[in-house]
Amino acid sequence: MKIFGLFLKIPRQVVFLTIAIAVALPLIIPLGMPVNIMPQSKKLFDAIDDLNENSEAVLISCDFDPQSMPELYPMLVAMLNHCFSKKIKVILLALWPQGTGMVEMAIDDLASKYNIKSGEEYAFLGYKFGVAAVLLGMGENIKDVFPVDYYGTPIDSLTIMHDLRNYKDLSYVISLSAGDPGYRAWLLYAQARYGAKLGVGVTAVSAADVYPYVETGQVIGLLSGMKGASEYETMVSRAGYSTGDLKATQGMDAQSLGHLIIMIFIILGNTGYFFARRKK
Amino acid sequence: MNISTDPWIWLAAILTICIFSFLYRDNFFYRLAEHLFVGLSAGYLIALTWHNQIYPNLFSPLFREGNLMYLIPLTFALCYFSRFIPKFSFLIRLPIAFVLGWGSGVAIPAVFQRDILKQIQGTILVGEAFSRWDTGLGAIIVMIGVLCTLIYFFFSQERKGILKPISNIGIIFIMLGFGASFGYTVMARISLLIGRFQFLLGQLLGLIK
Repeated sequence: MKIFGLFLKIPRQVVFLTIAIAVALPLIIPLGMPVNIMPQSKKLFDAIDDLNENSEAVLISCDFDPQSMPELYPMLVAMLNHCFSKKIKVILLALWPQGTGMVEMAIDDLASKYNIKSGEEYAFLGYKFGVAAVLLGMGENIKDVFPVDYYGTPIDSLTIMHDLRNYKDLSYVISLSAGDPGYRAWLLYAQARYGAKLGVGVTAVSAADVYPYVETGQVIGLLSGMKGASEYETMVSRAGYSTGDLKATQGMDAQSLGHLIIMIFIILGNTGYFFARRKK
Repeated sequence: MNISTDPWIWLAAILTICIFSFLYRDNFFYRLAEHLFVGLSAGYLIALTWHNQIYPNLFSPLFREGNLMYLIPLTFALCYFSRFIPKFSFLIRLPIAFVLGWGSGVAIPAVFQRDILKQIQGTILVGEAFSRWDTGLGAIIVMIGVLCTLIYFFFSQERKGILKPISNIGIIFIMLGFGASFGYTVMARISLLIGRFQFLLGQLLGLIK
């Protein structure tokens, strides 16, 4: 029974090192575990997949910063790949100041691949402070809130913005959200007040909070963390659209193995605790 | 193996390792990276606030275009600083009252719609939910879960008789909720670790194909 006592004395450095090895190895030598698609991710994919080049634009709000990149950036890239492959027009903006950098990075990666031009296939409105005023203002007239785009071009001169006035002229609003302001603000001001059709991609930490809104139909579909991103990447890839690097899918083997190691440590710790208590 | 020669990649990698070194124990390199991050973030935010907010929304219209209407928001904004002068500190109430009043007026009806009306609608059992057996079962479980959890939080009555087993069922639903949140939190933290490892093993060392 001495061995069970040892379970309680595992140094934390050993736990960290084991998890690090479990996460690093599958990245170098992929295991190729399958990616199962969750219904709420499929709903979001199907919603966008049903659109075509004549559909109204999709608005993607990048409400995250570099800290959430591993989870949300692959969602952004996969969604842009999906939209640009289908020639769906995209409006981009950010409720987080650092979100503009994420959009710029994604656009830089994809611009030459799809030969897209600002103002024609996409518009990048940039970041604006004051989430409530911004989202409510966009419900009336987007051009009043963003008179110029991120690059300083007058919004009226952008072809993509000619027939676009407010949320009613958008197919969907997608919030890729790492916290506040994020999907809750879009739900509050754009969905509840103006009836915008909202899709959400969130970090895994917030995923459990979004499910009630998916159940009621307030959110049309949900991508949860890196798993959600890998599901979207897989669906885009299976549908035959161009994907580029499958960053999230690449990480799913590491994710599974990391979880397995954590579960083993939880079981070991609890077993040790159980026997230690019985001994007393 | 294709090791990067980009100095920026190396700088990012060294800072990442400095932060990871905290997992062994607190040390100078961790604190250096931490302080660098805090300082850079604060500097970035100040520059961003000036260029994105103060200059285009106040400074430019007031001082370059001469629109005197902007004196009103400027006065309100300056009232925030009145708390540094005890004699005039009461003036801070003006902008706070304005922000609270406007914010509440805008948010309360929308929050009611988002979190109460729609959620109650989603909980009510309707015929449509029973078009398939699995959605019907799900709807019943949601209904039971909501009622039991609400009864658990009903503090005006002592938990005995019929209320006791119902609130115990409520606890099970609450624990399931906590468990799901914890599981997702672990997933999020592992994802962040994967992100850093993808950078270190991929962009820095070129080990990921």
